[in-house]
Amino acid sequence: MEITFKINGKPAKPDVDPSMPLLWVVRDELNLKGTKFGCGAALCGACTLHIDGEAYRSCSIPVSFAEGKEVTTLEGLSESEDNLHPVQQAWMEENVPQCGYCQPGFMMAAAGLLAKNPNPTDEDIKTGISNICRCGTQPRILKAIKRAAQIQQTVTL
Amino acid sequence: MATEEKKPKKKFSRRKFLQRGAIVFGGTIVATIAAKGPIRRFIAQTAENTDTPILISSLEPTFWFEVMPDNTIQYKSTKLEMGQGVFTGLAMLAAEELEVSLEQIKVVHANTANGVEDSLGTGGSNSTLTLYKPIREVAATMREMLKAQAAKQWSVPVTAIKVENGVMTSGNHKATYYEISTSTKEWKAPETPALKPTSAFKYVGKNVKRVDLKPKVMGKPIFGIDQTLPDMLYAVILQSPYIGGTLKSLNTKEAAKISGVVQVIEDQDLVAVVAKNRYAAEMGLQKLEAVWDIPKKWQQAEFAALTTVGIGTEVRIQSEGSPESILEKSPNEVFKQEYRTPLATHAHMEPNGAVAQVEKDKATVFVGTQASTMFRGNIAKTIDLEAEQVNIETTFAGGSFGRRIDSKQAEKVARIAQIVGKPVHVFNTRQQEFQNAIYRPQTHHVLSAKIGKEGNIEAITHNQATPDQILGVLPANLGYTLLGADFVSAGHGASILYNIEHKSATIWQNKLPVQTGIWRSVGMFPNTFAIESFMNELAHKTGKDPLKMRLGLLSGNEQINQRYKKVLETLAEKSGWNTPKAAGIGRGVAIGNDRKSIAAAVIEVAVVDGKIQVKKVTQVIDAGFAINPEGIRQQVEGATMMGITAALYEGLEVKDGQITATNFHLYPVAMLSDTPEIEVIILEGHDEPYGVGEPPLAPVAPAIAAAVFDLTGKNLRSLPLKLS
Repeated sequence: MEITFKINGKPAKPDVDPSMPLLWVVRDELNLKGTKFGCGAALCGACTLHIDGEAYRSCSIPVSFAEGKEVTTLEGLSESEDNLHPVQQAWMEENVPQCGYCQPGFMMAAAGLLAKNPNPTDEDIKTGISNICRCGTQPRILKAIKRAAQIQQTVTL
Repeated sequence: MATEEKKPKKKFSRRKFLQRGAIVFGGTIVATIAAKGPIRRFIAQTAENTDTPILISSLEPTFWFEVMPDNTIQYKSTKLEMGQGVFTGLAMLAAEELEVSLEQIKVVHANTANGVEDSLGTGGSNSTLTLYKPIREVAATMREMLKAQAAKQWSVPVTAIKVENGVMTSGNHKATYYEISTSTKEWKAPETPALKPTSAFKYVGKNVKRVDLKPKVMGKPIFGIDQTLPDMLYAVILQSPYIGGTLKSLNTKEAAKISGVVQVIEDQDLVAVVAKNRYAAEMGLQKLEAVWDIPKKWQQAEFAALTTVGIGTEVRIQSEGSPESILEKSPNEVFKQEYRTPLATHAHMEPNGAVAQVEKDKATVFVGTQASTMFRGNIAKTIDLEAEQVNIETTFAGGSFGRRIDSKQAEKVARIAQIVGKPVHVFNTRQQEFQNAIYRPQTHHVLSAKIGKEGNIEAITHNQATPDQILGVLPANLGYTLLGADFVSAGHGASILYNIEHKSATIWQNKLPVQTGIWRSVGMFPNTFAIESFMNELAHKTGKDPLKMRLGLLSGNEQINQRYKKVLETLAEKSGWNTPKAAGIGRGVAIGNDRKSIAAAVIEVAVVDGKIQVKKVTQVIDAGFAINPEGIRQQVEGATMMGITAALYEGLEVKDGQITATNFHLYPVAMLSDTPEIEVIILEGHDEPYGVGEPPLAPVAPAIAAAVFDLTGKNLRSLPLKLS
């Protein structure tokens, strides 16, 4: 069955089982590998992407849910590699990733949080994002999200 | 110098590269080992006295480096980048001797077909320390080869050529490395060039961001799971959810009916659902009706009891003075405690798996592996090819922590690819990652000490019961037969490093019905928890300050003693050890010496809503010469967070024959909300780099346990630490 939605601004019409998780459609049908498989049960957040601007864990959402909506993955977060989204710019500045596998999900969760709460406190971040990183980049993620908030404000001004 | 040219291996260099003690996968044989029995003693002594085995297959520069048309230099790393930052440190070292900017070095993983292999693999925090000199020598040789060729073309002496950012000049002559590299096919190997002195380094010693930062921030498809090949199919392997379970019967009818399922493979011990997409493969797996033969329905208590001091093969690895007889003589003055660490797993974020393509006379396997040479051999055997016909394309690994040294799963992926005749993508489900893992062994420790009249420790003994961490992957039980016990990895850190006249360490090698293996910091993790917790209890019992007591017991005239002193004194100062604590805060300390790197931590905790919360961590690390302090800081932070997980949350349990954890809801790990303030202080103690990835993990759990005691008066001696 054809499901129609927009992905990173472009139309997509994958012909798939409507119950297939959005994660696998994005990764393997649309070949966007930035969204990662971690747990398959919405527990780790590695598969976080945006649907109509809200952060979702795509491993546990059927593709049919995206029908008619706008999906954004990490590949579509920045305008270009030279004009990075504040979150990706902050990630670069703070030298955040180690293995890097969970980072797309964290960046998408952070971008989602900042869209709603442009100036989060440490507590807001700690309670607002429940993704998992095993390498232990949490101290840098906290710093990077605060930094992204600053960058975002400078850009908005 | 172009890729197409297959150069014969070896040749130009007969020089002797690094000479140091043998380094064995996942651990170092330390000088204190004295194994029982002549064969074991022979092995320990031989290992100690032998130079580093030459495990790098070629020292020819063109196998390591390739000059690209844009005058960047591709460095083919034999070391796996799994998050530890090894690409960055090695790129820095290469840039120094190649006289190019760091941006000009492009690091990729070497595949097993392109020339350089490194049988040492990646692990044991030894990549930088073992390659520190060889990579610079090879890079310098490459530079001199290019310079010699330019000199020949320009008819000038080599000494008249200057190099900057990969551009050579001499008078009016100017050429890039690339231009010169394509100008001839005849290369002469120069004499071993002198290496730059430390003082001339441009990058090494400075804070440098990761060379893989941008692709990781942009979400580039760099991991094994991201690999795609034309006509690729997706498969999931059926694995027993029961410990030791074997397939009794299988009904594949319903699975085969799932739309998208192409084939259900049943080939001896291998059952896999192959489909057009991952979702169909997973649905098919769920529809397989498997009945399992379960040899024993293990329960937690009996499973835990398998690892008990007094059971298994006993191997004494340290023996100084006569501690046992001293302890026996005055049993009433003996202080004795027991400690336990649980079964656990790596739980890295990218599940294990591989992408494989097998043709009639060749195979390619894309896999994040810490041991590509071993993988190649084992996979070749499985699919009846010669090792040379199998190419392992190592990919970035989404975490590993010691997990990716076992080839069994990749062998199965290759078998599936061979059976279906098309490329296949096979990765575990998260449930399989927990129930079909290679586990961090559970351990049991008994420590006893005789306290003298003035509160001094006269004698100390440590007995560690542990399953192995490395013997399982050695061929045909060789490890068990020869070594008796895994003192190399599981027993790493079991010896008492303190200056106590009478001391001993003994390992009791147990076996579990699950495969146990290496986990970040190997034996240092359980042994440091047990020994350092015991030292903290001894300090309390004798009314001593635990940090000052350690200073006293680590003092001496050797260089190592000076390093201990500096680490502990810096730690006391930076952590505010001698200043009053805030209300509701407990403070604890621990130290470890892991393969020459010394790491020590002071940790402050609070109890919030009945739960232990880590508030502040001060870690001091002396990892020898610091190639990239920024990279070291990242590793210390990461090891600290992993240590917090191990101290407060991590552990697997067994019930009714199964590992009970099936996903992260039953295997909690540290989250953003667990992040303390972390201060990292890097000391430099030597002119060579030591390991960094593992050493800072070990002190975390015992320092937290000590802080909890300081705050609550409760001595928690089992991990994870629970107040109730």
